[in-house]
Amino acid sequence: MNLSLGSRRLTVESRPVASRTVRFLAPTFSVALAFVIGALILLATGQDPVLAYTEMIRKGFLGRLAITGTLIIATPLIFTGLAAVVAFRMKVWNIGAEGQFILGAVASSGVGLWVGDQVGGPAGIVLMLVAGALAGALFAALAALPRAYLNTDEVISTLMLNFVALGIMNYLIFSSFSFWRDPGRATFPVGKFVEDVLLLPRMVGRLHVGLIIALAFTVIIWWALRYTKWGFEVMVTGDSPRAALYSGMRVDRKILSVLMVSGALAGLGGGIEVGGVLGNLDPRALSLGVGFTGIVVAALARLSPFGVIPVAILVASFSNAAPGLQVLGIPSEIVILLEGILFLCIVAGEWFLRNAIRVERMAGPAGAEAPAS
Amino acid sequence: MAESVPEVPSGEAARLTGITKHFFGVAANEDVDFDLRWGEIHALLGENGAGKSTLCSVLAGLYHPDSGEIHLDGEPVDLSSPHQALDHGVGMVYQHFRLVDRFTVAENLTLGHPETGFFTSRRSLERQVGELGRRYGLEVSPQAAVWQLSVGEQQRVEILKLLYRGVRILILDEPTAVLTPQESQNLFHTLRALADDGQAIIFVTHKLDEVMAVADRVTVLRDGRKVGAMPTSEADPATLARMMVGRDLSVPERPRTAPGEPVLSIKGVTAEGDRGLEAIRDVEIEVRASQIVGVAGVAGNGQRELAEVVTGLRRPKRGQIIMGGVDITRSSTLDRIKLGLGFVPEDRMRTGMAGGLPLAANLALKAYRQPPLSRGPVLSKQAVEYRARTLEKQFDIRGVRGALPTSLLSGGNIQRAILARELSAQPRVLVAAAPTRGLDVAAIQAIRQLLIEEAEAGTAILMISEDLEEILDLSDEVIVLYEGQVMGRLPRDRADPDLLGMLMAGRTVDAA
Repeated sequence: MNLSLGSRRLTVESRPVASRTVRFLAPTFSVALAFVIGALILLATGQDPVLAYTEMIRKGFLGRLAITGTLIIATPLIFTGLAAVVAFRMKVWNIGAEGQFILGAVASSGVGLWVGDQVGGPAGIVLMLVAGALAGALFAALAALPRAYLNTDEVISTLMLNFVALGIMNYLIFSSFSFWRDPGRATFPVGKFVEDVLLLPRMVGRLHVGLIIALAFTVIIWWALRYTKWGFEVMVTGDSPRAALYSGMRVDRKILSVLMVSGALAGLGGGIEVGGVLGNLDPRALSLGVGFTGIVVAALARLSPFGVIPVAILVASFSNAAPGLQVLGIPSEIVILLEGILFLCIVAGEWFLRNAIRVERMAGPAGAEAPAS
Repeated sequence: MAESVPEVPSGEAARLTGITKHFFGVAANEDVDFDLRWGEIHALLGENGAGKSTLCSVLAGLYHPDSGEIHLDGEPVDLSSPHQALDHGVGMVYQHFRLVDRFTVAENLTLGHPETGFFTSRRSLERQVGELGRRYGLEVSPQAAVWQLSVGEQQRVEILKLLYRGVRILILDEPTAVLTPQESQNLFHTLRALADDGQAIIFVTHKLDEVMAVADRVTVLRDGRKVGAMPTSEADPATLARMMVGRDLSVPERPRTAPGEPVLSIKGVTAEGDRGLEAIRDVEIEVRASQIVGVAGVAGNGQRELAEVVTGLRRPKRGQIIMGGVDITRSSTLDRIKLGLGFVPEDRMRTGMAGGLPLAANLALKAYRQPPLSRGPVLSKQAVEYRARTLEKQFDIRGVRGALPTSLLSGGNIQRAILARELSAQPRVLVAAAPTRGLDVAAIQAIRQLLIEEAEAGTAILMISEDLEEILDLSDEVIVLYEGQVMGRLPRDRADPDLLGMLMAGRTVDAA
């Protein structure tokens, strides 16, 4: 591609590998640019961007309450982010983390209500979380089986299954007198609370051990992708399914296992949200789009498991700061706006990782060249 | 329009001076001079990676050189897009055709043509195509859809497209790679007729015979630099080969070991192609230990399907495949690999390799399942790397740079790597599809040498190739596939190019 500007010519060439500098600079500039655009929008709407940003940092990170609140919000995002990383690494597009997260919450709250205080705390918690992961995996399998054996489009099926999951949860609480619903509350339907022994232990303030579990799974996923035969097969299949088939790999089973692992992670996230924060099946608190945000988190983390952690925390800090901004008269929607701008800027920045721009003088062969990115 | 060139021009058509083009710090062209005269066929000879394609792409406006000048018809020009080059009358036929499959020949010709309006007279177009076709031996039906045409015919459409666009400097990038010997002959006649009409033709090749057969002059490139240029009347193949490779070449000698037991038997196998039609029908092939059976044929006559059926990537409809006494007709690819089947696929970049991954991963593609590369579910990165280093040294794979994608390697090194992986598994049967297609002379020689040594070591080799020379040099027995059927079966000493060429074109021959 060529573009002439006066006596200079801009040439775009694809580059196979970006240098270390570019790999650092591109995302840094992207993030900076996102905040600049956000500031311009704030200015245009008559708000003070400096105030808004300092408030976001203050309410998101400074002080015990702020940081624990942020980390609590980040925990489920780490799970759904990891879920997307695992699937996207193999170029299998699981858009269904939202539904898998919800069904994980349904299953683990169900198991929690069922075991009551019969088995004691630790065993009960493990049962709840396993149930959550299992439910997420099985729900993902609904999309994975036809994808693996009939080659249906997993984007559509996982996306649509989100609505199925949401419908199931709403039905259990709002439209029926199910096992999950608290019969004692006649006015507004809510989920029955599990026994206190089944709640995840807390570390600092309301911050529960779910964060530690999330960090542990980050390490496990990183290790599995990098140091196991399974991870190797995921990598090969993601790069070239034909090469995978040719070298004797079972691509169909890999699709199944990857989607189920992805679903299990999202489902586990749902279970941890119930055990660590909610204590019951709360449809309003569980349908805030954690699954969809996970996709954004994974994309911003460039599909790196460890990248998921800081990105999830950053995005969580936005949500955590939003109510505080509202108090100052700054519309809390600014955080959603910023999330979106950030995403667009990072995606645009990706382009610079794959392409190099060169500026040359048109006249003569001795034109100066400078990489512009 | 082409018919507006009645008088034969003379003199210089194009001059490239001091062309330098770097890609990511690697010089593809370094200070290359090249000149082209009207009415000549000028061969551009060199190994793969010598910079032939880059030089042509510079002239065709695809790349802008880092430095250097281009003169067309004596005027300095700045070609910053293929479009501009076309406007200057420079056009290129690429190795991979740029035609719209579903469109007719006529539609492909008008596509992107500056004089194509919203309404175009179909009749006048078809008349012009007919005229051009007759004049230069480029007959092809204007109403035919491109997907219905043979590869040779599609190539004619590419040439017609450029002539119709008014191109007078025609660049052909390895045009014979996809043709039968007879089709190549026809192409040579066409090129000669064009040159006689005053067109200037650049003919890119790495085949010496073709240079001698068709070109008026030849320019030899090596490692991005020009080594020399001379009229072909003053050149001889040995000199050209030395210039191209930088040293003398010896032809690998195929010792004749007596073949052993039958190791691979393909019995009456019929299989469907991707479109659901029978791509191979009742194929019978037997390969013995230490034997190389060559499968000859024009591309698209069932070779790919045959290889896929043997390797388990495609299920046969009928028939049986037996390997080392075991019926593997229904076995998975993995089981076949475990039984000792090696496969060098024709599609190196997507089937043979996961192109985006580092070479070390690709070299581990099959061995990763067993120790020392893995124990239980755990993969040893060190063992993978160590094995890669060893194979790189043993098979002389060059240009590897750590974790960079394998697709950045040259074709020859990629093929060496595939062979390294397959041969290090010590296969009993090796299926090699188009093992040297598109490779440079030195790499071809090395790959053939590896295949010969492997056969000597007792491996049964089924070699599928469109390169007749290769088939004749290496095979103990030659099988010709035509439209999915075995047209003929010849022992090496009875096979010759003419006979094979006729069988490849579907003619039954008594001797077969």
